[in-house]
Amino acid sequence: MAKKLQDFFQNLRDRLPNDLLTIERAVAPADYEVTALLQHLENEQRYPALLFEKPRNLKGEPSSFPLLSNLFATRRRCALALGMDPDDERLPLSLEYARREEKMIAPVTIPVREAPVKEVVKRGEDADLYDFPIVRHHAMDPAPYIDMTPVMKDPDEGFYNIAFLRNMVKGPRRLGIHMSPRHNWQIYRKNSERARPTPVAIVISHHPAFYLGALNVSPFGVDDYGRVGAIMGESLRLTASETWGDDFKVPADAEIVIEGNLLPDVREVEAPFGEFTGYYGPQRVRPVIEVTAITHRREAVFQHTFVGHRDNWVLGGIPKEGSLFNLIRGIVPTTKAVHFPISGCCRYHCYISIDKKVDGETKQAALAALAGCDFVKHVIVVDADIDVFNEQEVLWAVATRLQGDQDVDIIKNVKGNTLDPSQTDSIMTTKMILDATRPVGRPFAARLEVPKEALKKTKLEDFIPPSVLNGLL
Amino acid sequence: MAKIFWVTCPQCQGDFYCHSEELRHKKIQLLCPYCSHRFLDEESPKIVE
Repeated sequence: MAKKLQDFFQNLRDRLPNDLLTIERAVAPADYEVTALLQHLENEQRYPALLFEKPRNLKGEPSSFPLLSNLFATRRRCALALGMDPDDERLPLSLEYARREEKMIAPVTIPVREAPVKEVVKRGEDADLYDFPIVRHHAMDPAPYIDMTPVMKDPDEGFYNIAFLRNMVKGPRRLGIHMSPRHNWQIYRKNSERARPTPVAIVISHHPAFYLGALNVSPFGVDDYGRVGAIMGESLRLTASETWGDDFKVPADAEIVIEGNLLPDVREVEAPFGEFTGYYGPQRVRPVIEVTAITHRREAVFQHTFVGHRDNWVLGGIPKEGSLFNLIRGIVPTTKAVHFPISGCCRYHCYISIDKKVDGETKQAALAALAGCDFVKHVIVVDADIDVFNEQEVLWAVATRLQGDQDVDIIKNVKGNTLDPSQTDSIMTTKMILDATRPVGRPFAARLEVPKEALKKTKLEDFIPPSVLNGLL
Repeated sequence: MAKIFWVTCPQCQGDFYCHSEELRHKKIQLLCPYCSHRFLDEESPKIVE
């Protein structure tokens, strides 16, 4: 049975009943009310998924689409999305993603009449973005933004690419789009050079495994529909689009799909927009999408992500951990774990643990990470006794196993990320490798350890009553 | 990040920033994110770059 968002809601209610909070009171997403609530919760370090039953649309009216927010803000929910035990949220989740990411599961095509996303079809003037409860996120954002996944198709080889890209609402059928020079941008560039529009289908809501799959770090040329299927654990069901028919297929089990043409010769001002870095990207001159059709389920839910916060960070980190684990382990077979911590927006910092056998493996692992994902800026490599999911342990290793003049490498003029505010060049950045592993070639101090036997025979509950123990800070 | 310049909206006095290479001295109207006023960079009462 094909995975759908509605099925995940039920799974979430059954397995993590406190994780999905339904808000019955009316809310105005375009007036920052949704992000204000999310910020209040974040200030209290609470990260539930929120389902707003009565959001207002961009006309100020009650929308017929409930609004889903913050779904990806915890690794526990992401583990559940992949059909795992939520308690396996750390290393097992990374390794499971890595295992699935090594395969492809080809999509299947179903007739339009059987596709849930075609229950309601609106074309041309009937398609109206203002019907949706689109969120305005941060103070300097000029408009509500759709922040989910445009799909594009390579004009030469026919593979599909999916990416999270921001879309500024400019009119009922007009969107701005920002692309960094990555895969979708390459597709757009190819079409633009031939003065052709680029077909785009924005997948607004789907089962969360779809989005975890969409963020794979595969090379340009890999069909994302096949890779998404591998992460979902089943063939992704596709169906013909309204605008291009069988020449461009869309996910049949999405809640909502917006179709449109990315124009080759139109640029308009777009942004500032609060980005994943926690800063605003500057106002720029960016391409424009003309919307041609909107299709959706009858009871469709509209989803957004809280960009620049955990919802956006955690979602981006898990696929990178899996993809880079496979890449690095191919070069350093004793690689134990890869983690993208919250402190680096789950993108800029990469922690790698290896069971180092010879000096130099550290550098190999780090260089593989830097080459494999251009988001990675600072790599810290630690020994296998360090839990990379425990940042305190990682920084303890940096404090006690690293000498700045011997174990830090600076690599200048590497392709970076255009949204990193510390970059002084628009494209190039400086990468840093921190080797916080113990040297193999010389004796090194031993880590403290209370004898295992003593730990085994001396039980807390034998000395401290549970009532007292539970009350301890 | 690319080089940026800060501008002030002549209508609402709100401050925001733009991509220098794409929008400074380009005769392209900027969009104030606070009041939607459109103006040229040279109309800004203050520019920090």
